[in-house]
Order: sequence, then structure tokens, then C-alpha cells
Amino acid sequence: MSTTDIQSLHGLIVEEDIPLTLEDLCQACCASREHVVAWVVEGVLEPLGETPQDWRFTGASLHRARLALWLTRDLEINLPGVALALDLFDEIAALQAHQQRVGPR
Amino acid sequence: MKFKDYYEVFGVPRDATQDDIKRAYRKLARKYHPDVSKDADADVRFKELGEAYAVLKDPEKRAAYDQVGSQWKAGQDFQPPPGWDAGFEFSGRDFGSGDDPTHSDFFEALFGRQARGRQRPGMHARGQDHHAKVLIDLEDAYRGAQRSISLRMPVPDENGRIALRERKLDVRIPKGIRAGQHLRLAGQGEPGVGEGPPGDLFLEIEFKPHAQFRVVGPDVYLDLPLAPWEAALGCSLTVPTPEGSVQLTIPAGSAAGRQLRLKGKGIPGKAPGDLYAVLTIVLPPAVSENEQAAYRAMAEAFDFNARAAMKG
Repeated sequence: MSTTDIQSLHGLIVEEDIPLTLEDLCQACCASREHVVAWVVEGVLEPLGETPQDWRFTGASLHRARLALWLTRDLEINLPGVALALDLFDEIAALQAHQQRVGPR
Repeated sequence: MKFKDYYEVFGVPRDATQDDIKRAYRKLARKYHPDVSKDADADVRFKELGEAYAVLKDPEKRAAYDQVGSQWKAGQDFQPPPGWDAGFEFSGRDFGSGDDPTHSDFFEALFGRQARGRQRPGMHARGQDHHAKVLIDLEDAYRGAQRSISLRMPVPDENGRIALRERKLDVRIPKGIRAGQHLRLAGQGEPGVGEGPPGDLFLEIEFKPHAQFRVVGPDVYLDLPLAPWEAALGCSLTVPTPEGSVQLTIPAGSAAGRQLRLKGKGIPGKAPGDLYAVLTIVLPPAVSENEQAAYRAMAEAFDFNARAAMKG
């Protein structure tokens, strides 16, 4: 395996600097347009904007969309199941945040 | 290059049915998915599972792998025999767990070229976006930092054959970044096909666990242990923060669990986070004669029932 030269790079914070369009999100998580639209309709993803052309997704959607894709494709979970699983992931994240705030007891 | 036994990864025999493989993958993938697992090496295990599944779930790839692999054991030095894949036609770029194209050397040597589809002249397409996780220190988010990261990426050589190359990137971590946020490095993903532009690289930021601070979004939490008299009478203390020490006044009559907020001392940004000192009270042990006398004096001085709220 060879190594290329070191490059110095400036990145942009997706969550603060770049709202993602439907096409951006599909490309970024290798998901089909049909999948992403279905997730929005089911409430798994909540973009700003009314129509698919106007939709703008936050960086948090990127993580959710990749998780939803894994649940859909590899675990073959159906749409309501994906929505439920992601709600439970949110719940776990909220509990972990609470635990972080109060500290180990 | 070491031979990888994909059957061993799933703990199934070589004659396992497709259903057995699917079941074994799902069971292990649930266990090791980085969003579910607490294991430190969950990421690595999950990638390994994804790679093994990409081969074994696809009957064509599995047949080709079986032909090459029947005489090898995991960990043995391995070179694919020339022309090993003659007679196998792989259908396109179906990666399965394809959001992670950074499979092992072994996978790339066997399936790299086929998995990406044979390039036809005149065909142009944008390269895929890639994802990677980067661990940084909490202090980096306060100050910004320059971090060198190493990525393994499939790159076509002059003969059009795909080889894994290690790429070192020097990435500027912007001040104010938070765990879970993504940095997008434009054009640093997979190379495009033909004249298509390259994809982007997304880096997901994670903080290394810190001995002292806990982080929730932009806010930072610190446990601050106090002696009972410090909490009862109040005091002024020097408290560490990720950007140096500050002086903090503990009000008299502070109870354990009380959170004192240092506004704006969390992770910086347009809406900077706060730093919270979470008070804990540590009881000094009563060992010497004097210490025991002090506790006895307290017992006499206070009209205090610790179990006043307890019924029965």
C-alpha cells in the first residue's frame, strides 16, 4: 500500500455552514431519493422547507439517514420499524445526556 | 496481505445457507453497530462484519471467494492467484454496507475492481462520498487544532486496477466544533469515473473521553467535590476549565447535586455553551480522637434528622 503526500485541508462544519439539499443528502449517505423521501414522510427526517426541492437538511439528518439506511437495507426493517428504532435511539441519547449532566452516582 | 476467513467472522461453517449467514450477520451487526455498542473496538468489528457480509451475501462473490479460499486459513499470507476471477461476472457496485468503501487490502485485492464496475469509455459519474470518524480532545474544540489523520482509500492505478492507498490529511479542526458534528472536505471522497468530479469526505467528530469533564452538546460538566463545611458555609475555589482555571464562589447552604453555571465557559461558538460545576459532598472519615469529637459536637449542635422524610 502506498502513501500519498500530506495535504492540508480546511473543512466546513455541515451543521453550521452547509444546509444539505435532498440530492446532497442522497449523495452523502448513498441512499436513494425514494428512501429519503419516504423517511421524511414518515417523520424520521425533518427538513426545513415545504416541497422536496426546497428541503434543507441539517447535519444531524446525515447521521440519522445513514442509520436509517443501515436498518432498512442490512436489517431489512420496514419503514414504521425504522421510525420506531430511531425514536428509541433518540430516547437513549437523551438518557445518556441526562446521565452526563448529573454525573456518575 | 493476510487471508481473511469471512466464515470465521460470522462463526458459521462453509456450507452455511444464505439464511444462516444473514441471521449471523444481523445478530452480530446489532451487537457491534457503533450506535448501539459500548465496546471500544465496535467500529472495527462492525467494519469487518460489513466487509464479510458484502462478500458472503452475494452468491456470485461468495462462489468466487469459496474457490479461492478453500485452501487458506485466517491470518495466512495471501496473494490472489492470477486470473482467479475468470468465469465470474460480478453485477455492479452493490456494496451492501456500502457507506464504507474502505474495506481491507484483502477485499480490495479480490473484489475492488469488480465491485466498482468496469469503467466504460465515455462514462462519467461523480465519485461516492466517504465517511470517517475523527477523535479529538475537548480542548481542541476550545482552541481549534490541526490534526493529521490517516485514511485508507481505494484509488485506481495507471492500469485502472484499484489499490488501497494510505492518504494522510492535515485537517484544521475549527474552534467551536461539537461532538456529532460533521466536517465536509470537498472533493476528498472517492475519485470520479471518467471526467466526473470526486466525491466529498465527511468527518464525524467525536471527543476522546476526558478524566474530568463531561460534554453534552455545547455544555461541559465538571464534578466539584466539597467538604461539608465548604458546602454549608460557602467558599471561594479555583476550578479547572478546558481553557484554564477560574475562581468560583460556592454560596453558603449548597446541597449535593446543585449545579453552578459558568455562563459562556462551555464550547465556544455563535451560541457558546456553559460550564456547569456539579457539586458533590465528600464526608471526611472520623478516625482520630479529635475528628470523632468534632462529629460528636455536630451531633449535639444540630437538631437534625437525616430520615425526616422517611415514613414508618
